[in-house]
Amino acid sequence: MLKEKEVIIIGGGAAGLAAAVACQEKGIEDILIIERNAYLGGILNQCIHDGFGLEKFNSSLSGPEYAQKYIDQVKEKKIPFLLDSMVIDLSTQKEVTVINRQGLQHYRAKVIILAMGCRERTRGAISIPGTRPAGIYTAGVAQELINLKNYMVGQKIVILGSGDIGMIMARRLTLEGAEVVLVAEKLPYSSGLPRNINQCLYDFDIPLLLNHTVIDIKGNGRLSEVTLAEVGKRGGIIPKSKRKVACDTLLLSVGLIPENELSRQAGIVLSLITAGPEVDERGQTNVPGIFACGNVLQVHDIVDNVSLEAEYITEGILDYLQGRISESQEIKMTLGAGLRYVVPQKIFTIKDTIFSFRVNQPGKKKTLVFEEDQKLIKKKYFPRVNPAEMLRVKLSSSELKDINKLKVKLV
Amino acid sequence: MERKFVCIICPNSCQIKVEYENKTIKKIIGAQCPKGEAFVKNEIANPLRVFVGSVKVTNGNFKLVSVKTPIPIPKKYLKHIGKLTHSLEVEAPVAIGQTIALNLLNEKIDLVATRKVNKIIN
Repeated sequence: MLKEKEVIIIGGGAAGLAAAVACQEKGIEDILIIERNAYLGGILNQCIHDGFGLEKFNSSLSGPEYAQKYIDQVKEKKIPFLLDSMVIDLSTQKEVTVINRQGLQHYRAKVIILAMGCRERTRGAISIPGTRPAGIYTAGVAQELINLKNYMVGQKIVILGSGDIGMIMARRLTLEGAEVVLVAEKLPYSSGLPRNINQCLYDFDIPLLLNHTVIDIKGNGRLSEVTLAEVGKRGGIIPKSKRKVACDTLLLSVGLIPENELSRQAGIVLSLITAGPEVDERGQTNVPGIFACGNVLQVHDIVDNVSLEAEYITEGILDYLQGRISESQEIKMTLGAGLRYVVPQKIFTIKDTIFSFRVNQPGKKKTLVFEEDQKLIKKKYFPRVNPAEMLRVKLSSSELKDINKLKVKLV
Repeated sequence: MERKFVCIICPNSCQIKVEYENKTIKKIIGAQCPKGEAFVKNEIANPLRVFVGSVKVTNGNFKLVSVKTPIPIPKKYLKHIGKLTHSLEVEAPVAIGQTIALNLLNEKIDLVATRKVNKIIN
């Protein structure tokens, strides 16, 4: 039997919960959240460190506290949700197939919100050679084991990649009594937030080796050593820099990939750069009525921005449900120097629009410039830019009025 | 003397330069807000951090409850508090904000729960 819903939200993490609450507040009644885990809150449940909610709640919360604020609202507003339920199929017609203990269930919705989050890159994704011993984890899996399952992952730890989760795990493992030998980062700069380098590594005298990577893994049964090498200016290994580091555990914090298998099934066009759906100014994908927000759209560094993005797209969802989206001509967006990507990738209608960016490399005293041909539309100054930190800029409908194309660059 | 700090209070990660002699601060440059100034003053006098960790729960829908110190504590105690959390145990249900430990190390260091844990009825 096909059950009809107004809005189905796939994923009950930070993005899905905020989207659900915002939809309900806009008067949308018939909502269903589908979550594959046994609890709502997604990855926030295992992020027990503080620093969440500074923008949304003006206080420094832990991940579970931040999630609970939204879970409480979902329960108060009596928004229905399914737990232990996995969406296994999503069609262009917005039909959703769910599997759980009750068996297979079929739904159809007027609007689908993609809020599936992202997953980690693994050893396989970066092809580290060597043997295949136990003791190699992605940082987030180690975080789940330690913070939720009460398993310690090891005692002498090397971390490859300086993403935020890797650095946060360096501190966590140290406080749990393990020795974190070093953090190696292939790039000449950290891929995490500067404050985490400070409070997670330097506070505990954990060295951060930039321009270094792991080139070999040894261990019979359990990991026993990794080979570390310096990366030269052109990306190759400097042979004489090779050295062996004894350890029983290797954590990988080498990037996150939006989880878009369902999006592909539904025929949604994905960006090659963000690995998330290409969306318009409302967060709508190329399939009318399917919207995306949070880490499935673009990997965020701050959860407050995930919540804000989820709330933002519900404006467009309400317009869609009430038939207020009239597609005018597309404004062509182009990306100039200094930027890796911009979201949204397309603009069809003129409304107040939030643009998100990531820069190519760290820099100081930079200006983000929006222009049409040579005409300046808007500029915003940043004392410091960092690929680890997403930039967000709002353009008002009056600034976007009468524009046919829009170019963004960093100068 | 001069020292550079990266403020850890918020994601702005302000880079703050401090000129000081002994523990008397002469000049603070680069803080975008008063919290940054307060942070570097503490960094020079007595660095403070919020401790976060976890404590075992019995009969709960989670095996562990995450905890934090309600206020930042001297940095030098972090590892010691981490060790102490291994010997603590609490019975479900646990509410967010519930006190899990009081006056650890006789230094007025408390731990409060940051996760809601429901009791499992067998």
